[in-house]
Amino acid sequence: MTRRGYLPILLVLAVLALLPFAVTSNVVLNFVVFVLIITLAAQGWNLLGGVGGQSSFGHAAFFGTGAYVSAILQVRFGINAWVATAVAVAAGAAVGWIIGFLSFRAGLRGSYFALVTLAFAEVLRILANAAGFTGGAAGLLMKLDVGFWNMQFTSRAAFLWLALGFVAVGLIVSQMIANSRFGAQLVAVRENEEAARALGVDVLSVKLKAITVSAALTAVAGCLYLQYFLYIDANIAYGLWISVEALLAPMVGGRGLVLGPIIGAFTLHGLGEASKLLAGRVPGIDLAAYGAVLILVVAFAPGGVLGLLRKLRFRSQPVAKTAEETA
Amino acid sequence: MTLFMKPVSRRGALKGGIAAAAAIAAPSVLRAAEPPAVKVGILQPVTGALAMDGEFGRTGAELAIADINAAGGIKALGGAKIEMVFGDARSNPEAGVQEVERMQSEGVAAIVGGFASPICLAATQAAARYDLPYIVDVGVSDQIIQRGLKNTFRFAPGFAICTQAAIQNLVRINEAAGKPAKTIALVHEDGLFGSGLAKLMQTELPKHGFEIAETIAIPTPSRDLSNVALRLRSLNPDLVIPSTYYGETVLLARTMQQQRVRPKAVYAVLNGAASNMRFVKEFPEAAENIMDVNHWQDPRNPKNAELQKRVVDAGKQWNYNTPLNYSCVMLLADAIERAGSADRAKLIDSIAASTYDKHLMPYGPTKFVGGQNQGAAPVSTQVQKATIRVVYPEAFSDAKPIFPVRG
Repeated sequence: MTRRGYLPILLVLAVLALLPFAVTSNVVLNFVVFVLIITLAAQGWNLLGGVGGQSSFGHAAFFGTGAYVSAILQVRFGINAWVATAVAVAAGAAVGWIIGFLSFRAGLRGSYFALVTLAFAEVLRILANAAGFTGGAAGLLMKLDVGFWNMQFTSRAAFLWLALGFVAVGLIVSQMIANSRFGAQLVAVRENEEAARALGVDVLSVKLKAITVSAALTAVAGCLYLQYFLYIDANIAYGLWISVEALLAPMVGGRGLVLGPIIGAFTLHGLGEASKLLAGRVPGIDLAAYGAVLILVVAFAPGGVLGLLRKLRFRSQPVAKTAEETA
Repeated sequence: MTLFMKPVSRRGALKGGIAAAAAIAAPSVLRAAEPPAVKVGILQPVTGALAMDGEFGRTGAELAIADINAAGGIKALGGAKIEMVFGDARSNPEAGVQEVERMQSEGVAAIVGGFASPICLAATQAAARYDLPYIVDVGVSDQIIQRGLKNTFRFAPGFAICTQAAIQNLVRINEAAGKPAKTIALVHEDGLFGSGLAKLMQTELPKHGFEIAETIAIPTPSRDLSNVALRLRSLNPDLVIPSTYYGETVLLARTMQQQRVRPKAVYAVLNGAASNMRFVKEFPEAAENIMDVNHWQDPRNPKNAELQKRVVDAGKQWNYNTPLNYSCVMLLADAIERAGSADRAKLIDSIAASTYDKHLMPYGPTKFVGGQNQGAAPVSTQVQKATIRVVYPEAFSDAKPIFPVRG
């Protein structure tokens, strides 16, 4: 029971880890690093929105808090990058807990919860834009100072492995939760909150745990973004774009599934990049492809890419279906 | 029918074959005589929120490359042509970095462009990893040139130079008119340039005898500015200084027109619309007499009128980004010419030592200090009779300022 589901994770991680040996093009490596950062944010979202059914529209709040806390600690206080990242992730988790406490205690669900998270992210964006210690609208620029202790690397491959390491942690944590009692409670809350409560599940505490872990994962993405691009401002860190990226990837990949975010992120951005290569100089063609993929997924594969694969497999092998159902 | 069925003789086939082989081989023989092209990366945001500006910039760079190639390419490299490698920065820094990586993999000698400060910050840094020379076109944030990156050069003036010039020009224009303006209302967008500018104005303008009646921050985007216009009407300031982007400036100007708010002048700084022909064309009445301190081409340079005609004839729009990017590419070509090589290290030294003065901007000869062109300066412009005129400094002006607009 405990080993269930780890094999595909290992496979995906191994392929990505070996990628820098096969591909030396920095174009590809840079692309993979960016998608891995998105994956991390999406893994955070998937835990709360996919497994727990609490669709957030404001994961930027956690992404941005991670990025800003790390940047402020490093730029203003000269704290080591690794320590700053650890503190920033804790801060992101704390923000997650606070937002969760305020909204879940008020009994907000569904679209109301989505709207409240969106509002929190927007409030943080405006505050970060106005406050002096966040650099205001000028943002925070980190010094380019390559070195292991600064979490900055000359080779894109090194950063890829770092990001992959964090994604691996995210995947393993997600799988552990999926296999655990807590995971089962979370699914119960998603499926029917009243029924879960009637069965003795402490709904508030389960949701709070989920949003805290979810926020921590997304905060890691914020920290990695900062270490990679070395510049953030309010619109990057707390912007709507990352909230959307974080929720689109699991939707496309397979909502609530452990591998959903990583598959979704690579599918979306991979198709975007591929269409850019194929269509050449037509500007915006990748964005059009991105949109087309979304429409197709929503229309024909509500379970995402993984859901579609599973459906196709069952259709061709009716025996497997019954086996799966009895399992 | 026999015409097509006619059998081909062996000799005929041989002849044809040789002719075909020669025809295929000929271009490669010609090509071998030509030196390899120098690739230049042009980075502009042509999709997303900044698409309009990105297009202006791309047009300028394309025309410059076409002109260089038409004039015989880089002579020091045996007439090597310049080949453009275009990258769409999609209005965000991540896409900018991704395009820099692609340009690097395609082996460009240098990159020109970026437009927005966040894109420029991220892209120059990505280029610095490869010691790839990068000429920033607009990007006004002074952080761009304060990081000690050896590969980064900015041809246009930055924030500090622009604001200093804006205050100086205002004081001089006001003094020349007998100091009609005393009270000022600042309307600024709450982002990087708007709030930074407002803060600076609040401390600097009172030193020159002005009184700040009110500072109003507005978000971008804003859909309705009636309240702001009404507030301005009740304050009745002599001067309104809007530091806003295109949409909000247009909205503010039109709302002020509707509400009959008539200050003695509207004096914008680095404004998104006040130096944009689209605004002037679409809302000539609202735009009339608005002043701006901004990037603009040198109106006395006849090459600008010629270039503008080519742009308009091609059905494209003209804005300051066009001559600015044209000039940046020309400056780069001049640097390659002097370096006699597309080698990056040599090119960086060559750009750093540039004294290029055949550009289209109202700047003196180019002189880079710490990556910033010291010759660069903004100008004061004013919309007069539905065209944008340069009214200050006199050395470049093609019209006199109308100030105050209403006595």
